Amino acid sequence: MPKNADLLTARKFDYQEVLRDVARSMVRLKRPDRLVKLITRFIDRQFGLSHTALLVLDPKKECYVFVNSKGSKRLPMGLVKFDTNHPIVQWFSGSQKKLPIQKDYLFLSDVKKMLSRAEFRMASNSKGDQLLAIQRSMQNLKVELLVPGYFKDTLVGLLMLGRRVNGRCFTTQEVTFFQTLAHDCSMAVKTAEHNQNLIEQNRELERRLQEIERMRSKEQKTYYEIMRSLAEEVHAKEPYIFGHVSEVERLGMMTAREMGIDLSGNTKDLLSAALILHDVGKIGIPDNILCKPGQLTQEEWRVMKTHVEKGARILEPLTDFKRVREIIMAHHEQFDGTGYPRGLKGDEISIEARIIAVVDSFHAIVSSRCYREGRSLDLAIQEVRNCSGTQFDPVVVDAFLRALKKELLKKGEVPGVLKEYSVS
Amino acid sequence: MTKKLLIVDDEAEICEFLKSFFEDRDFKVATAHNGAAALEQVARFEPEVVLLDIQMPGMDGLQTLKKIKDNHPKVKVIMVTAVETQEKIEEAMRLGADNYITKPLSLEYLEKDVQDKIDLLAKGT
Repeated sequence: MPKNADLLTARKFDYQEVLRDVARSMVRLKRPDRLVKLITRFIDRQFGLSHTALLVLDPKKECYVFVNSKGSKRLPMGLVKFDTNHPIVQWFSGSQKKLPIQKDYLFLSDVKKMLSRAEFRMASNSKGDQLLAIQRSMQNLKVELLVPGYFKDTLVGLLMLGRRVNGRCFTTQEVTFFQTLAHDCSMAVKTAEHNQNLIEQNRELERRLQEIERMRSKEQKTYYEIMRSLAEEVHAKEPYIFGHVSEVERLGMMTAREMGIDLSGNTKDLLSAALILHDVGKIGIPDNILCKPGQLTQEEWRVMKTHVEKGARILEPLTDFKRVREIIMAHHEQFDGTGYPRGLKGDEISIEARIIAVVDSFHAIVSSRCYREGRSLDLAIQEVRNCSGTQFDPVVVDAFLRALKKELLKKGEVPGVLKEYSVS
Repeated sequence: MTKKLLIVDDEAEICEFLKSFFEDRDFKVATAHNGAAALEQVARFEPEVVLLDIQMPGMDGLQTLKKIKDNHPKVKVIMVTAVETQEKIEEAMRLGADNYITKPLSLEYLEKDVQDKIDLLAKGT
């Protein structure tokens, strides 16, 4: 006898321990299908059942489907579903609030008992019909015990247990254990579902963000194109210097390269945009001032100088061009601090603005304007050199003249004034 | 009258489960795991109703359906399949399928539908 008792104790296992294991697996396993498999396999092995199956609510199909089954009489996966109006689903959905948790399960034997009582009372009511349907369904699936799992009052899972191979009945403790497992499975399935939804929502958000970014960048590009044609327009008012914009851009880029400025990434685009757009604010200067043949009055000069701020304002909607705006704001600053609008000096003026100051002035001198004829290359070079250190940054002037000499060398027409510039 | 049912599915577990289900309801049941075996069984076992899967190796369910209907027009064929595209359903109906049930299915509905087909045959339609 004692030996037998020992054997029995050895066969028993620590429910608490198992539940802790399950809880740990739940945390560890991101995929609930694995946990579900783990649980059904565990039950099948520990209790020696004909089969175990788990039915889970599929929210997309609005029905319950088998997610796993184990045992010799296991159910084929993907074949059977329970609609939400299935009598068993109805039983647990409806009775869930009425029944205390200890009673929240259903034995086939209890269904039979209830039916015999109902028959005994000759009660032909819907409850009897429901019980009959439940009995049929349980017999179809060869299920002895049903244990539901809920999540927030919704029936999420249904643990189905087959006949015990050794014919013994389940103890209350065992049923409570199954209830906990059914509950855990439901939690795991719901959590995974929730995670999946979050992932999908995240993807959708990212997709929309990308779309917005794409549209924004497209809009900025369009705006930039408009600005560019506006800049051309400003100079088109002065037909003699058609092409000033692109020439200033070319000279500016040439100088930057000569200075060894790193033009990788978007630095090149920013400099190019600043060179092209530097005078875009002139669109807001009245033609009688912009194209006045002759000296400007003090008042007219005041208006003329506002093209710097006007240009910066026009570019405000181009959020990508904040830097370009700053460059444009500073392109009439002078190296010695006597420029406008802020009287910045030296390094306070960005390098791009210092480059624009040189190439813009140079090109203005060699071009014809409404108020005068274009002057010679020699004179322009002389003028730029004279202002080196005062109006212009000498480093920029040197680089510009070196680059210019290289270019003229190719054409074989280097003016005498450039002789002293060594070209490497 | 004996009710005879042929279950055709390449998954043995599904065949066994449905066989046991219908045998409990006093059906005589035969099974086949592919199209060729199904045609053989239709000729030999002479079922009233065939449950026919679509996705099977070799001859698929739709080809099998056509051959059954060509040679045994009286036999009722219920397609039981996980494939649920409008084209497949329409093609099955055009080839003379008597119903199209998608997996996972409700056992209660399947039982009723098979019984309905038996009743129709009994009435001679």
